[in-house]
Amino acid sequence: MGAVVIEQLTKDFSGVTVLQNIELDIKEGEFFALLGPSGCGKTTTMRCIAGFEQPTTGKIKIGGKVVNEVEPNKRNCGMVFQSYALFPHMNVFDNVAYSLNIKQLKASNPIKKIGVYTRMLNSKLVKYSKAIEDKVMNILEYVELADHATKLTSELSGGQQQRVALARALVMEPEVLLMDEPLSNLDQKLRHTMRNTIRKIQQELKITTIFVTHDQEEAMSMADRVAVMKDGEILQIGTPTDLYSNPQTPFIADFVGTSNILSGNIIRKENGISFVEVGDQQVKSTSDVDKKDVQIVIRPESIIVLDKNSQDYDNYFEGEVKLSTYLGSIVRYDITVGEYNLVADTTYESGNNILQEGAKVKLGVSPERVLLI
Amino acid sequence: MKRFKKSLTGIGIVKFLIYLFFIMFLIIPLISVFLVSFTDEPINLFGSLISLDTLQTTIAQFKSSTLDNFRAVFSNSNYLDALLNSLFLSFIVSIVVLLICVPISYGIARTKMPFKKTISALCTIPLIVPTFISGYAFIIMFGRSGWATYIYQSMGGDGLLLDPYSFTGIAIVQIFFFFPYALWPMVAAFKISDVSLEEASRNMGAKSWLTFITVTFPLVIPGMLSTALVIFAVSFSDFGTPIILAPTDLNLLVVSAYREISGFFNWGGAAILTVIMIAVAGFVFWLQHLFSKGKNYDSVSGKPKQVKLNDNKLLTVSLSVFSGLVVLVPLLAMITVFIQSIATTWGKDPLPTGYTLAHYKTIFTSSLGNIQNSVVLALGALILSIIVATFVSYFVVRQKSSTLDFMTTIPLIVPGIAFGIALIQTFNAAPLQLTGTAVILIIAYSIRRLPYMVRSTVGTMRSIKADIEEAAVNLGASTLTAAITIIGPLMLPGIAAGSILVFITVIKETSISILMAPAEWAPMSLAIFQNILRAEYYSAAAMSIILVVLVLVLQGIANWFTRKQS
Repeated sequence: MGAVVIEQLTKDFSGVTVLQNIELDIKEGEFFALLGPSGCGKTTTMRCIAGFEQPTTGKIKIGGKVVNEVEPNKRNCGMVFQSYALFPHMNVFDNVAYSLNIKQLKASNPIKKIGVYTRMLNSKLVKYSKAIEDKVMNILEYVELADHATKLTSELSGGQQQRVALARALVMEPEVLLMDEPLSNLDQKLRHTMRNTIRKIQQELKITTIFVTHDQEEAMSMADRVAVMKDGEILQIGTPTDLYSNPQTPFIADFVGTSNILSGNIIRKENGISFVEVGDQQVKSTSDVDKKDVQIVIRPESIIVLDKNSQDYDNYFEGEVKLSTYLGSIVRYDITVGEYNLVADTTYESGNNILQEGAKVKLGVSPERVLLI
Repeated sequence: MKRFKKSLTGIGIVKFLIYLFFIMFLIIPLISVFLVSFTDEPINLFGSLISLDTLQTTIAQFKSSTLDNFRAVFSNSNYLDALLNSLFLSFIVSIVVLLICVPISYGIARTKMPFKKTISALCTIPLIVPTFISGYAFIIMFGRSGWATYIYQSMGGDGLLLDPYSFTGIAIVQIFFFFPYALWPMVAAFKISDVSLEEASRNMGAKSWLTFITVTFPLVIPGMLSTALVIFAVSFSDFGTPIILAPTDLNLLVVSAYREISGFFNWGGAAILTVIMIAVAGFVFWLQHLFSKGKNYDSVSGKPKQVKLNDNKLLTVSLSVFSGLVVLVPLLAMITVFIQSIATTWGKDPLPTGYTLAHYKTIFTSSLGNIQNSVVLALGALILSIIVATFVSYFVVRQKSSTLDFMTTIPLIVPGIAFGIALIQTFNAAPLQLTGTAVILIIAYSIRRLPYMVRSTVGTMRSIKADIEEAAVNLGASTLTAAITIIGPLMLPGIAAGSILVFITVIKETSISILMAPAEWAPMSLAIFQNILRAEYYSAAAMSIILVVLVLVLQGIANWFTRKQS
């Protein structure tokens, strides 16, 4: 298992820059997510690590060694493809045993080589060694597919195929595990289960894992750290909680979770409190920035919908409910305050009244929960 | 240097070998035949690379090179005659084929013609039969003692109804055996052209026949022109019919070239005729490419449309009768060959005097070697073309190698006899004296039929997603190992489909076989040809039937495969 370090990576495709100055420092055993909208360069970054793309400039190190000149088949990065890329003419066992066959191929004498080649073309003709058989069955048991070893991959369900792909990558004991949108082909329910499965396996094997996704929920719930990418650049790297509470750009604030984002001007600062003018409203915030024009970020759950006899809040607005959406454990309100629309989430407990459209409400936000960017 | 070292991987070496194969056996022969047309004697290009003496000879040959041969094209009446006759023949054949195909294809595509299915099925007969067998069939039908001549004379006719040994004879055989090449593209053109335009015309008051002439017909003209050029090329390259039927006083390019090289060993003369053949074929191919690309208004609207089939009784019946008569000719020709093959003697009578299987027995005792040769040669060509085509399609699809893509279309253009002459001249001397060996024969067959194989394998290769291969590489396989263990097995269906086509066409192959096969490797086609020359018509007929049956069986297997696929 090795750390992955990327230095000053750029990538041009015939003059078009798709990656710019990518800097990553992924620690050994870390579960790292590359998050971003489609076309942001996350997959290209991963393909550079796997060796399928050559960086235009920059260095890629795996386990302390620069791998730029290392062929993709010698990098020992296990990859789980978005489409799984299982070999359709082989059964589950042969798929998983593929990398072990290759290893034998490299070590054996010419005559044995022919045997291995024959086995890769038809495993019925030449038997696997006991060591390989045990290893494959172990990993298949680990992903709960031991019963399906002799099935063709096309006979499996989506989730099972996913686990074959995972087992196939894991059996080679890679230094790094790369996963390209591993859950995008699964349905909602299965996705949740697989999230846990992958996370559990990663924790148990302590394998450095990099995975690419456009789904922020997936990235936030699985990864130790997340790099948010946009237009070929990394915007911010941090733990999920860090990204959520301290987004460094409005894009991240919006992409990671839901946010109310408003533009305003700082008019004065007093005792660590910035007073920001937003339209005809004034908002107090404890966050400190060195500029006048700012973006205000307020998470929906930070907005408290007050009932009549509640305590005072430093930020206090009056508004009108435009739309209320019942989401199970929470109720989401779209509220107009002056010329602005705000989204506010309240936890729902049975028995509570849901405010109806047109209801006049008072809103409170504590200055600590108002982020200035 | 770094780049060079990088390409020195397994797959890089394979790519180098594939290029070497094409350059040695396709490009250099074609260049060489062009050079020989100047030097007037065979030059030893490969020998010049390793021996100083040979190099000096070659340089001396170049120094004394002349334009005599090019002048001869215009001064030597034989050459000029050959060119003009060949062009005229192909022109006539393509025009008549078009005229024949318009009613038949309209009938199949747009009407409720009776016996449509039977007629369509019979249209495949000419595609199965090698042309020299069809030429020979016409001899036993229309020759001095043919049954057709007998009927004609008994109805009061004088002499021959049609002399098969003539320009007209060659033209008629080609017309009746090449029309299916034009038929199916034209059926497609009639099916695809926009019916609503015709309805509009009729709506404006035009009569049916007026609509056909002013709207339907013009819409399929681009497709027809392109088809006519295909027929022109097929007729121009055809060797089987002319070599059987051309009388000695009729000069045709293919026949003259063959006689120059195998009769007179006139290298310069054969070379210049070859250069002319390739030039004409290349020009026609380019023209055809231009037509099928540029003027393409065959699908005016993309909407699926319901074609209303014409069911006018008078029209459909007359179309059916006409189509039936056209397909009857190749059918009768084949039946004639069959009857001949089981006849004891068949003189100038409508039917033989008796029937026997003796001719087949003779073949299976004395000519079994020819059948074996055919199968062995075809298998050799098949294996070679599978290997080459698999890698070529890999390079074309995955590495976007347009050079290889282009190189595999060259054999489509070069007429077989021209390619054969080019190979004979190039490999005539040491160090690569391959002329007269089975090796060069197999190489010639496989290069000539490689386009079929490549088309099939490229299609399958396109359907294999790139990430499957990347997955193998990611798991530690080199590109070559991935190609052998993953891509190869996945390509099997495409290879199988292409294989049968290659096998069939190699068995049918006439020009290369007759020109290049040594006596000990004589395949069936050469044996039949020699039997015909020796006037051993009965065994020729029996061997022809065996060949056609072999092709039919393979075709059946191929069809079964494709149906199983879909």
